[in-house]
Amino acid sequence: MLKQTGPGVGHIWLKVLLAVICSTVAGLGFASSSVSAADDGEFFIIASVQNQVLVNDVPERTPVAGASIKVTTSDGTLIGEGITGADGLCKVAVPTRDNYLIDIDTTSLPNGLTLIDAAKAQVKVDQVLFTTNTKRVTFFTGDSGVSGSTEIERYLQRLTDGIRLGIIIAMCSVGLSLVIGTTGVTNFAHGEMVTFGALLAFFFNVHLNIPILISGPLVILLGGCFGLLINWGIFARLTKRGIGSNSQLVVSLGLSLMLINLFLFLFGGRTKQLTSFSKQVNLEIGPIGITPRDLTTAILGIIILLSVAFSLQRSRLGKAIRAVSDNVQLASATGIDTQKVIRIVWFAGGALAATGGIFRGLDEQVSFSMGSDLVFLMFAGITLGGLGSAYGALVGGFFIGIFVEMSALFIPSELKVAPALFILILVLIVRPQGIFGRSQRVG
Amino acid sequence: MDLIKIIENTIRASIGVDAIYFAIAALGLNIHFGYTGMLNFGQAAFMACGSYGLGMTAQYFGVGLWWGIPLGIFFVIILSLIVGIPTLRLRADYLAIVTIATAEIVRLFVRSVKFRKVFGGTEGISSFSSQYRDLSPFEPGKEYGFGPFTYTGYSLYTILIGWGLVGIFSLFTWQLMRSPWGRVVKGIREDEDAVRSLGKNVYAYKMQALVIGGVIGMFAGMILALDRGSVQPDNYSRMVTFYILTALVLGGLAKVAGSVVGSMLFWLLFVFSDNVLREMTRNGPLRISGVTIIESNQVGAVNYMFVGIGLMLLIVFRPQGLFGNRQEMALDGR
Repeated sequence: MLKQTGPGVGHIWLKVLLAVICSTVAGLGFASSSVSAADDGEFFIIASVQNQVLVNDVPERTPVAGASIKVTTSDGTLIGEGITGADGLCKVAVPTRDNYLIDIDTTSLPNGLTLIDAAKAQVKVDQVLFTTNTKRVTFFTGDSGVSGSTEIERYLQRLTDGIRLGIIIAMCSVGLSLVIGTTGVTNFAHGEMVTFGALLAFFFNVHLNIPILISGPLVILLGGCFGLLINWGIFARLTKRGIGSNSQLVVSLGLSLMLINLFLFLFGGRTKQLTSFSKQVNLEIGPIGITPRDLTTAILGIIILLSVAFSLQRSRLGKAIRAVSDNVQLASATGIDTQKVIRIVWFAGGALAATGGIFRGLDEQVSFSMGSDLVFLMFAGITLGGLGSAYGALVGGFFIGIFVEMSALFIPSELKVAPALFILILVLIVRPQGIFGRSQRVG
Repeated sequence: MDLIKIIENTIRASIGVDAIYFAIAALGLNIHFGYTGMLNFGQAAFMACGSYGLGMTAQYFGVGLWWGIPLGIFFVIILSLIVGIPTLRLRADYLAIVTIATAEIVRLFVRSVKFRKVFGGTEGISSFSSQYRDLSPFEPGKEYGFGPFTYTGYSLYTILIGWGLVGIFSLFTWQLMRSPWGRVVKGIREDEDAVRSLGKNVYAYKMQALVIGGVIGMFAGMILALDRGSVQPDNYSRMVTFYILTALVLGGLAKVAGSVVGSMLFWLLFVFSDNVLREMTRNGPLRISGVTIIESNQVGAVNYMFVGIGLMLLIVFRPQGLFGNRQEMALDGR
C-alpha cells in the first residue's frame, strides 16, 4: 500500500515539472509555435494507457490495448473517441488548443485491469499547457494495493474468465481432434482456421459495416467452406497420393506458415477491435462482473457445445463420425462412406473454429496470430481428452481453459499458459491415450 | 533496378552468418529428423539454450565466457528430458506437439518480466562477448576481403569460426552415422519394432539422439548470439524452427551435405526474393493496372509466405530435396 504512494507522488511532481517546462517553453517560443500551428491547423490528443507492475520496486510498464478513450470539451460536448492500439496509444484529433477532458472507460480495460488511482479516470488538459500540436496524457493501470475485491471474488472472476476461454478452446479443438481421428493428420494449421473466422468477421464488421449478428452465420458458413477447401485442395490429395501422416504433418506446418503470413499481409501486424458490441458496461452478477456480450457468447457457446455433443451421440451422422474416428477400415466395411464423413468433419471443424474465432475476436481483439496463439492450448486440451476423441476435445479444451485462467491467480499472467504444458506432459506420462481414449498402444 | 547489388547481397547471404547458424541448427535437426525420424519442431529452444548459456555465464556468474558451453549443454539435457521422457515412447506426432509447445513456453519464460533478473526480459542479454572479441586476430573495424566478399574484421572472424564449426559438425555427423550407433539410429527410423526385437533400447537411443542433435543446435544459437553481440528472446520463435526445417528439407534429409547446402540455398533464395521485392516497392507500392499488389512493409510477410509454400511443395513433390535419397526419406517409415 505504501509503495503505491511512491509513483503517485512522483507523478504529481512530474506534472508540476512538466508544467514548469511547458510554460517556460510556451513563454519562449509561443510566437513561433502559434505560427506553425496556424499553418497546419492539426491538433491531437494522444492518450496512452500503460499497465504498471512493480518489479523489485521498479515500475515496469506495458501498453494496454483496447481501452476506450473519450475526449470532451469542458462543457461536455463530445469531440472524439478512440480505442488504444497494441502500443497502448490512442490518437484523437481536436479542433483547437482548448481545455479538454479526457475520460477512460474503465470497463473497457481488458483482462480485468483497473486504474491504479480510480480518481484519475478523467484527466484535464489545460489550454495553457497545450503548446505543441500534440498533447499526451497517460493513464496507469495496475494493482492499487487497496483492491476492494476479496480472495473469493477474485477466484470467481477468474473462474468466469476461464469458463469463457474454455468454451472457445473446446469449440475450436473439436475439429482438430476429429480430423486426427478420421484422417490421422495432426493439423498444425488449425489455429489459422480460427484466425480466418475472426478476420472475416472483422472484414464484414468494420469494412462493410455489417453487424456481427447478421454476418456471423455467413462467416461460420465460410469457415466451414475454408475447412473443406483445405481438405479438397491439400490433405485429400496427399492421402490419395499415398503420402503418410507424418509428411502431412510437415505440410500442415508449411500451410500454417503460409496462412499466418498471408493474414499478416492482408490484415497487418496490429491488433484491431470489432466495432459491434465493443463498448459495454459490466453487469454485476453477485461478485462477478461480466459484460452482456460475454455473457451472451458464453451461453451461445455452451448451447453450441451441447448440441455438438448431442448430435455426435444421437444422430446417424454423429455415430458415423465416431465410427470412422474409431477405426476407418471397420467403418468403411460396414458401409459408411468414409470420404463423405471426412469432408463433413472438415466442414464442421472449420465452422466451429470460425465460431470460436468470432467469439475470441469479440472477447479480446482481432490479430493475425490470434489462432496460432491458441493452437498450443487446443493441443493440450485434445491430448488431455484423447487425440481423436470428440468428447475428449470438448471436455479437455474446456478444462484447459479454466485451468489456464485460474493459474493466473498464482503465477504472472504472462506465463499463464505454461501450466498447460505441465498438464500436457503429465498426461503423456500417466495416461497417454487421454481421458476418453481407449487404452491401446500409441507408440 | 540495381541488379548487381541484388546479386552481391544474394551471394553474401549464402555464406553469411545467417546461413552458418542455419546450417549448424539444420545439422542438429537432421540427426533428430532425418536420421532418427523424430519430429522435433523445437530446435529454436535448443538454440536458445546455447545463447542463454553464453549470455548468462558471462553476465551473471562472473566466470569466463567459455563456461557457457557446459551450462548450455546442461540446459539442452534438461530440455531433452522434459520433451523426451513423456513422448519418446509414443507415436511420432506427440513429440511434435510437445516440442512446439515447449519451445514456445521457453520463449515466454526467457522474455517474461518475472524472470527478468535471470534472462533479461524482452531486451535479452547483451555485452557478454568481449572475451570472444578479444581473441579475434583481425582489426574489428577494418574491412577485409574483395568485391562482394568484403567484411569487417569482426564479421569475418565470426564467419570463419562459424564455417569451422559447420565443418567440424559435418564431419562429426558423417562419422557418427557410419558408426554402429548411427546404424542403430537409422534402424529406429526405418522400423522401431525390428530394432527393439534385436535387443536395443530404442528409448535410450532416441534420447541420446535428441541430446546430440540438441547440443549441435545449441552451437547454432551461440554463433547467432556472438555475431549479434546480444541474446534476444524473439530470435527463438517457433517460426525459426520452421525456416530451418525448410532449409533442411530443401537440401535433403539424412544427408550431411543437405543440411549445409540447403541452408546456403535457403538464404540465397530468401535474400534474392526479398531484395527483388524491396526493389520493386521502393518507389511506392507496386501496382498492376491500378490495383495495389504489394507495399514495401508487406515484403517480409510475402517472403515468409513463399517459405511456407516452398515447404509444402517440397514435401509433396520432392521430399528427398536436393541430395536426399528417396529410399532414405522415411518420414513415414512404419
